[in-house]
Order: sequence, then structure tokens, then C-alpha cells
Amino acid sequence: MSVVAFERKQNTGEWSERELSTILAALSAATAPGTGREWETGVTEKGDVQFYLLGPLPDQACELCVSRVGRSYILEDGMGRLLFEHRNLDLVALHAKAAVPSTSWLMVRAVTLWCAVRSALHEKAEPWLVEGEELFVQFVPQLAAFA
Amino acid sequence: MKRGKHQDVSTEPLPGKAAPDARQLRKLAGDWLKQRRADAELSQADLAARLGLKYYTFISQVENGFSRVPTEIMGAWAKELGIEQAAFAKHLLRYYEPELHRLLFGAESK
Repeated sequence: MSVVAFERKQNTGEWSERELSTILAALSAATAPGTGREWETGVTEKGDVQFYLLGPLPDQACELCVSRVGRSYILEDGMGRLLFEHRNLDLVALHAKAAVPSTSWLMVRAVTLWCAVRSALHEKAEPWLVEGEELFVQFVPQLAAFA
Repeated sequence: MKRGKHQDVSTEPLPGKAAPDARQLRKLAGDWLKQRRADAELSQADLAARLGLKYYTFISQVENGFSRVPTEIMGAWAKELGIEQAAFAKHLLRYYEPELHRLLFGAESK
């Protein structure tokens, strides 16, 4: 028996709604209103589709790019570094979600925490410091005389 | 739903607008790079292979105006396109850092 090898059809053409939904669902937090991020699609000269996650104004540079080449999905950053590649778009979308620069909310939380701690310390420590300073000022002349 | 737009390759100088935004300028740079690559008779895949990239998709990313040519491979990119490295970098600076280009080279166009 001979087996005829049929070449598998290349997956080309525009992004399907399902593909775009998968990517956008994974990047929903990154593209939420207020983040300033946008997204665009494009194609390579071979007709392979690309999805670009763009950073905020004024630069709007590409932060992440998902391309579909043949049957694989390629995840790159805006500098061309290959971050992940797989045939399963769900997996690629998960990696895209993890790769989004997410310093904003971490920074906000860190700064908020720092301000809260600093404020609490200031409130608690200031009376002690003032009291200590007063005691110091009161006792130093006596100590000096004694010495 | 937004879709990427494809513009014709152009080698026109910077437009007369007072302050074209970074994205427009990157697109102009991409158009210029695409034309230079075509002059060198290279496909995006050819260029990517010569630059040691596993996929050619980054070339498209740059030529479509969404990213810049990274400084660390600018020299190699110029070499593969048959352009003198300094001239290549200087030309790209017009698009990527127009104010710096103006400070360094004045109002000269080339």
C-alpha cells in the first residue's frame, strides 16, 4: 500500500474573529481604557498576518507582535526578540499576556504602600522624636554641668 | 475593527507638516527601508536570514512602521542593504530622532 502525502494547507489570510478574540481577551488588561495602549494588524510581504500591541502616546511603539507564519504563531517584542512560538494560539496569547510590560500597576501599588508606610511612621515617630529632643535639650546643660 | 494599512513604498523626504508624530515618521522610515531592500533585491526573509533572525516577521514589523531598527543591528542591516553604515544611521535618525538629527546636522536634507 502506498501513502500519498498531501501537503497541508497553509493557514494564510486575515486574522479570523476567533484568533483576534483570543489575543484580545488575553490582552484585555493591557488594552483597557486608561492604559493608552492600542492595537493594529498588518501583513508581511508574504501575506502572513501580524498583530501589534502598541504602547501609549506619544511614541506608540510596538510592545509585542504576534505573527501567524504557516501554522505557527510567533510572539516577538518590539525589538525583534523571539519570546515564544507555538501552534496553539491560546498558549501564545498566555505568553503575550505575561510579556506585557506591566510596571504600571506594580509601581502604583509600590508607591501607594511606600506613602502609607511613610505617613504612618511620620505620625507615630514624630511625637517621640520631638519628646526626645525636648528631653535632650533639658538634660544636656545639667549633664554638662555635672561633667 | 481596526486593520493595518499598507502604504505604497515611498522615498519622499519628510513631509512639510510642522511636527509629524513618531508613528508617521516610523512609517516613513519603514517605507524607505522597504525600498532600499527592494533595491538590494532581497526579500524580507532573505534579509532576516542574513541578519541571523529566526523569523522574518521583525523585518515586516519595522517596515510597517511599528518598530525601529535596533541600534545593535543597524550596522549589519546597512551592510546587507549595501549602504554605508554612517549614512544609513544618519538617514534613519531623521525619522527616529528628528530633533537630534536637526541638532547634529542642521537643516540639511541628506
